Amino acid sequence: MVAQRNPLYSAISLIGVFISLACLYVTLAAPFIAAVQVIVYAGAIMVLVVFVIMLLNVEIAERPMRLRALVPIAVMLAAVLFAEAVFMIYFVQASPATPTRNISDVGLTRSIGEGLFTTYLLPFEITSILLLMAIVGAMTLARTGGLLSSRAAVVPGDQVFAKEMLNRQKYIDDLTPVTTHSTEEARGLLGVEDQDRSPKA
Amino acid sequence: MTPQLSWYLALSAVLFTIGVVGVMVKRNVISMFMCIELMLNAVNLTFVAFSSFFRDLSGQLFVFIVMTVAAAEAAVGLGIIIAIFRNRESLDVDDASSLRL
Repeated sequence: MVAQRNPLYSAISLIGVFISLACLYVTLAAPFIAAVQVIVYAGAIMVLVVFVIMLLNVEIAERPMRLRALVPIAVMLAAVLFAEAVFMIYFVQASPATPTRNISDVGLTRSIGEGLFTTYLLPFEITSILLLMAIVGAMTLARTGGLLSSRAAVVPGDQVFAKEMLNRQKYIDDLTPVTTHSTEEARGLLGVEDQDRSPKA
Repeated sequence: MTPQLSWYLALSAVLFTIGVVGVMVKRNVISMFMCIELMLNAVNLTFVAFSSFFRDLSGQLFVFIVMTVAAAEAAVGLGIIIAIFRNRESLDVDDASSLRL
């Protein structure tokens, strides 16, 4: 997955990794987590990522590899890390008494639901607040320009606007409201493009 | 030969290391983002393995919460990526070197 140059291939490999992990969860007797893994990760999150990749559609620019001098040091450190891993696996295998597994109801949807709504109720609610914050944050980021949308309606006649709502470059450091007396003036202040809203005859 | 706990832990460590290497090597923001997801999944695998081998429910509940956090992170992170791309016309992290958007 890391070796791919194109982010789209990388994303598809990542989906493969997620589905393999879901299979591992099934072998670990956690069917609920496996289902959530497929639905949330391989379904929702990766669809979002692939959507963004396709939306932005950036060409891959080949760039020269920097820090070439550090490659031997990196190989040496990787060898040390690998030796440590082998050492640890050897001693774990040599140590006695890994716990044996029995049949139990841990990991079934029922037990997870009971746990979520009894012992872990507070983290569950905090998670819901986090999701709400994510929704608000995503909306704020997706919005462009000022607080008003570019298609905000301007009604004819006198109207009063708060300075914060208007084009920001003009009115920095001044918060008194502005009164306009015509639709054209209000359009200019709001930065709304001129569009024909008159009813069709 | 039944699967040992250490096998799952080793796989998880390998996945996490791949994720860390990806974050350090990649220059594309979206690729780095996916590597972070990979690291989260490696930790999830550890949680589920321990939860299953010790028959304790807490691990799987924590995995559930981690997945929710990952979903929230994906929503906000991709929003930030799109905002950066709008401003800089580039997904390269080296181009986004100042805090000012």
